[in-house]
Amino acid sequence: MPPKRKAPPGQATASKAGRASAKSTPGPATPRSVGSSVMSEAEEDFDEDVSEAQRQREELLSQEADEFVTKFTFGGKRLQSQNNDTGGEGRRQDAATAFFRKRDFSHLPLKPDHQNRPLWIDPDSCTVVLERFNPLAEQATDFLITIAEPKSRPTFLHEYALTPHSLYAAVSVGLRPRDIINTLDRFLKTSLPDIVRKKIEDHTRSFGKVKLVLKHNKYFVESVDAEVLQTLLKDSVIGGLRVHGSDNFTTSFAPTMGGLVIPGTQNAAGLHQANLRQAGKNPGEGGNASNEADLFTALNEEDDDDDKEAVHAFEISDANVETVQKRCLDIGFPILEEYDFRNDDVNPNLEIDLRPNTQIRPYQEKSLSKMFGNGRAKSGIIVLPCGAGKTLVGITAACTIKKGVIVLCTSSMSVVQWRQEFLKWSNINPDDVAIFTAESKNKFSGSTGVIVTTYSMVTNSRERSHDSKKMMDFLRGREWGLMLLDEVHVVPAEMFRRVISSIKSHSKLGLTATLLREDDKISHLNFLIGPKLYEANWMELSQQGHIAKVQCAEVWCPMPTEFYDEYLRATARMRRTLYAMNPRKFQACQYLINYHEARGDKIIVFSDELYSLKQYALKLKKVFIYGGTSQAERMQVLENFQHNPAVNTLFLSKIGDTSLDLPEATCLIQISSHFGSRRQEAQRLGRILRAKRRNDEGFNAFFYSLVSKDTQEMYYSSKRQAFLVDQGYAFKVITQLANIENTPDLAFATPQESRELLQRTLVDNERGAEDDVETDDLFGRPGRGSGGGGGRGGRRGGAAGNGVRRTAGMLSELAGGHDMAYIEQNKAANKGLRGAKKKGAGADGQSKFFKGLQREKDKSKSRG
Amino acid sequence: MVKAVRGVLVECEPAIKSILVHIDSTNNNEFIIEDLDETHLFVKETMVHLLKQKLEDRLKETYRPEEPLEDSE
Amino acid sequence: MSVAQQSYQLSEYLEKLPGTTFRKLYQQPSTAFAIFRRMLPPLAKVFVQALLYMPSPLLLADLDVWVRGEGKMQRDRALSILRSLHIIQITPPGKDKPQEMQLTTNFKNSLRLALEGGGSHNSFGVPSTLPVDPRIDIAHLDNYARKKWEDILHYVVNSVPVHGEGGGGSFGGGPKASVKDVLLIGHLVERRHDTRGGVSITQAGFTFLLQEANAQVWTLLLLWLEAADRANKGAANAANAAKTDSIDMLSFLFMLASLELGRAYNTDALTDPRRNMLPALVDFGLIYIPREDTRQYFPTRLATTLTSSASALRSVSSGFSAAAANNPGDASSLGTTPDTSAASKGAIIIETNYRIYAYTSSPLQIAVMALFAHLNLRFPGMVTGRLTRDSIRRAIGFGITADQIVSYLASHAHEQMVRAAAATGRPVLPPTVVDQIRLWQLENERMRTSAGFMFKDFDSLEEYVSLSAYAEEIGVLVWRSDKKRMFYASKIEQLRDYLKSRKKAE
Repeated sequence: MPPKRKAPPGQATASKAGRASAKSTPGPATPRSVGSSVMSEAEEDFDEDVSEAQRQREELLSQEADEFVTKFTFGGKRLQSQNNDTGGEGRRQDAATAFFRKRDFSHLPLKPDHQNRPLWIDPDSCTVVLERFNPLAEQATDFLITIAEPKSRPTFLHEYALTPHSLYAAVSVGLRPRDIINTLDRFLKTSLPDIVRKKIEDHTRSFGKVKLVLKHNKYFVESVDAEVLQTLLKDSVIGGLRVHGSDNFTTSFAPTMGGLVIPGTQNAAGLHQANLRQAGKNPGEGGNASNEADLFTALNEEDDDDDKEAVHAFEISDANVETVQKRCLDIGFPILEEYDFRNDDVNPNLEIDLRPNTQIRPYQEKSLSKMFGNGRAKSGIIVLPCGAGKTLVGITAACTIKKGVIVLCTSSMSVVQWRQEFLKWSNINPDDVAIFTAESKNKFSGSTGVIVTTYSMVTNSRERSHDSKKMMDFLRGREWGLMLLDEVHVVPAEMFRRVISSIKSHSKLGLTATLLREDDKISHLNFLIGPKLYEANWMELSQQGHIAKVQCAEVWCPMPTEFYDEYLRATARMRRTLYAMNPRKFQACQYLINYHEARGDKIIVFSDELYSLKQYALKLKKVFIYGGTSQAERMQVLENFQHNPAVNTLFLSKIGDTSLDLPEATCLIQISSHFGSRRQEAQRLGRILRAKRRNDEGFNAFFYSLVSKDTQEMYYSSKRQAFLVDQGYAFKVITQLANIENTPDLAFATPQESRELLQRTLVDNERGAEDDVETDDLFGRPGRGSGGGGGRGGRRGGAAGNGVRRTAGMLSELAGGHDMAYIEQNKAANKGLRGAKKKGAGADGQSKFFKGLQREKDKSKSRG
Repeated sequence: MVKAVRGVLVECEPAIKSILVHIDSTNNNEFIIEDLDETHLFVKETMVHLLKQKLEDRLKETYRPEEPLEDSE
Repeated sequence: MSVAQQSYQLSEYLEKLPGTTFRKLYQQPSTAFAIFRRMLPPLAKVFVQALLYMPSPLLLADLDVWVRGEGKMQRDRALSILRSLHIIQITPPGKDKPQEMQLTTNFKNSLRLALEGGGSHNSFGVPSTLPVDPRIDIAHLDNYARKKWEDILHYVVNSVPVHGEGGGGSFGGGPKASVKDVLLIGHLVERRHDTRGGVSITQAGFTFLLQEANAQVWTLLLLWLEAADRANKGAANAANAAKTDSIDMLSFLFMLASLELGRAYNTDALTDPRRNMLPALVDFGLIYIPREDTRQYFPTRLATTLTSSASALRSVSSGFSAAAANNPGDASSLGTTPDTSAASKGAIIIETNYRIYAYTSSPLQIAVMALFAHLNLRFPGMVTGRLTRDSIRRAIGFGITADQIVSYLASHAHEQMVRAAAATGRPVLPPTVVDQIRLWQLENERMRTSAGFMFKDFDSLEEYVSLSAYAEEIGVLVWRSDKKRMFYASKIEQLRDYLKSRKKAE
């Protein structure tokens, strides 16, 4: 959602200062600082390594974008009417009206057959309430997900909100205002309030009118409305940028799906078997309510109709694209980018198709049909839960466009995974999928291909090695058909801006599970990448068995009195450590691990707090991985977790939050987390949604959040759950674990041990304010990269430049000899694995995946 | 000589008691007459209301404040 | 909830009555029949049916043949209910004779009469032979009863202090003064001069609002009976006459319950005391008397369903809904008493994310929901809101308990919730929400205070031991610490006296 307030001129600096202070005291020292520490979250996953000049330029841009986004929202978060007339006359008042104040809409006339219609609408806030048990619910859901923002999707009634952004997205996938209005009216139990009709008209008037199309490698500004083009041409800036010699508009017919078939869909399967029979596609054109409601089929069918729309266009030069784009935004005609890839005969075609047996799932098809609805590729974002096959969606998009593809990931681990997936799902020649990371810098062999890289590789402007520079020149010098942007939610807007300005692509597809940011910057993505094309319903996918069913629980762990007394006196930083180190929480963790290991579960324990991560793992003799763990050790640990029946519990720091694919994991325990981050909660849940056993009869994965009672953790915990709860997940509060006191070797069982733990925790953490800063990349190279363009892990502090040191090995700096002992133990623990591997599970136990990974590495080394 | 002192007996969990003691110690010991045991405090009658209020304030940080039902203007 | 809960109140009232009263009550076949129908669990009914035509007493031991071993608890419960209602007599255990049981005479005779239809007791009312105005049909009666009853509930719910701009203002005229008096005397509301209506709801009032309609009717009627009892006792002349009155009133109510809806009955056939009850019953909406002809009275659905079982109560709802449907112009009062607006199905959906939706247009039901939910949007026929920590804590501040809220939600759950629960084998209400409501209530109890005195600085251990023991004995000891030689007592007077007398003795 866009920010409510206008960005004041000095905002950039101010927020920076806030960020700096948030970092030096990561805990919320005062309620006020909660906001700023949350702000920092959006930034912290990424290293920034750019020149000061560029930074300033970006700040300016970001500020402008803020202003624009603000303007775009028409002064509020929701659609709002200019005049306050929401049908005041004819309103009825009764004894209950006062409970709703202005939100009593019981005067709206019900349609006679209202029981057959699934929607209500609040004309003021444009909140739409959907009856999920209505016979028309399916169609209405499809429609709403296209035109509105899902707000609440539990079991029986869902709520959506019409927002300027959601309408923008609707228009951009090809809905016309009258389609929106008519369909909405058809689904409503009451007649459509005029005020809503007007709002939709007002807010869609300028949306989607203007498209930027790259045709035959010339840029055209295109519109179905000649008047709009006239308006643009009269504009002092745009008028002058038209390519001379084209005095009049060129006019042609509007594009249609025109036989474009997305691979892996039913249609594609049909194609293989028989000749395409276009006409028969729409089941039952009888025109009853339910078929009428099938808006998208109808839209895609329109090429059969006679009323082909004329489109008008004028040409602009490559150099002026950005200027025109910006100017159009300024004057209220945001430009949609469309790529007419089927008519692009300049860029070479890529030999790629899905493997014959690959069938994509219905929701994947639905999301792609939004992207390719009119036969061209539209840019935008597709939101699918973790484990729901985002990668396949991206690959299918690539197989549809069949031009050069650049894939941007958050980590070099993901890079390797993406390449694997390309090879797994498509028939692409392995030589045509190249990798650009610190370790390997290949190009594809042919005239075109797929390049997989990381955001930081292409945005890092300093200390580039010769190889990297050459590679960047290669990337910059080409036109890409498709840019796939993975995990778009974690990447700061500035980074996108840098990527997009340096690499030219005809279409962009952003992928994420959680289009959520605590800092509200998500709305920027709408303009940088494109509108949200589709957002899947978690509960529905889980009911259909595409992702695992999960039982969620919040376990309340009271703090022993002496811990709590200390907590009340402690600094914000120390409080975080204390509520993580709460011995009762430790016992709960031990109990749950015992319980679930006995059930045959594989368990991941997450801790944001490095100190407690290590204390827990070492005391419970479990393996763990954090930012400082070496590459080889990480591989070792993961491999054992996956295949060694003796290693069933893995402790992970937040480097494991995203992009870690461990389908063996079936149980997740959170002992410490990042404040109130809804995104982290959803991402972590995502680690078990992929569970291999998800389709076993009665299978459930488990997600436990351990919170120390009567601490701020309780507050954060409920804030974190907000997103998932609105997706329909229910968190059970557990106040007592049955028979926990009978746990064998229960840790810290005596007051004496508990007091010792407190003393040790206090001593160990006396100085550590900025210690548990980590790299985001699970498989990135720990430490500031030697050579190469890696540069991962380098962090900038705030504007004042108080560079925070890298953290690998920080354990030993932390508390002197005391921790040295732990390091020894740590080594011993992980060495244990190595020994085991040699004896038993052995090299043969190595997973295909890691073998593959290793092969790729060796290969790239030999090539590079 | 036996004394009977008027006042209020507070019964609560240890954590709440910790908070109450903490409030008392940061407010010039205005509230508590005597710390009795893990779960009991003896408190000045006139200060009970204020103490309850301060406890409520203190506990507020452990709950998510209610969000507005709609994004209000 | 509720059959159990409703019956509980009535049975509580009945159990307080002495045996002689029951003997009188059971002289009426209608009463015996109503009690049989309404107050007895199935097993008890089986016993009564078996005993009814048995020529001689049954050996208690023979019951064991009827009831399987695991049903012993149920058997004991049934017997205890039958005894407390003075329906059976059991001979005391003795060495020489085994225990026997039989029905009490009056009950047996009356129930036989009720079932056989014999006798000339007019116990089931005397139909009127006068011509009946054709406009007085069932719909008319339903409409009338609904209006009367809603007026009463509105009066109670409107006495909820609403923060901000006052809540449900006063719409409609409100109930008659006699009804208001009953509400006041029964402490469902109390006088407060700072509220608009001059009254404010009490904790009992909230409990009343959250009950089902049938239980509400009984609550009010029993309050009325008690008030009448007290008034009569106050009147100096004859305590005996007073007793008869309230017994007769109760009998009359049971009789009304046996009448037929839509039929006219003769007022002249009533005794004087019963005729005197008619105006109040009109005010409650239990009977209708045409203005033109006061020789006729019509029982409404509120009366005829007084002793119905739960399934029959559905007909109250559907009848009222039909009445509302007959009145389409009156959108503001669509629906009716809290449980009846959504016809035979419940109205409320509660989601796992605490959002609450109610399919209702009834201002009354909305006002009741506003007691514990934060309401948001209102559409024709549907309202939305949320359960929040604040909304629940506010309700708890009113004296409503978490259990009452949960049971209200459960008994008003929408059929979709019931169906989904049946399909998945899960509870109707999301367990996480139920837990949370209870946890919110617990939060309110985190600091418990009690006023009193701390006793300390004892001269001797003996003095401490003796005084604290005494405090414990008279039930004022709240806390003690032998180690600190201190104790806390809720009251001081008796302890002071005890100390004084002790000193004297020394």
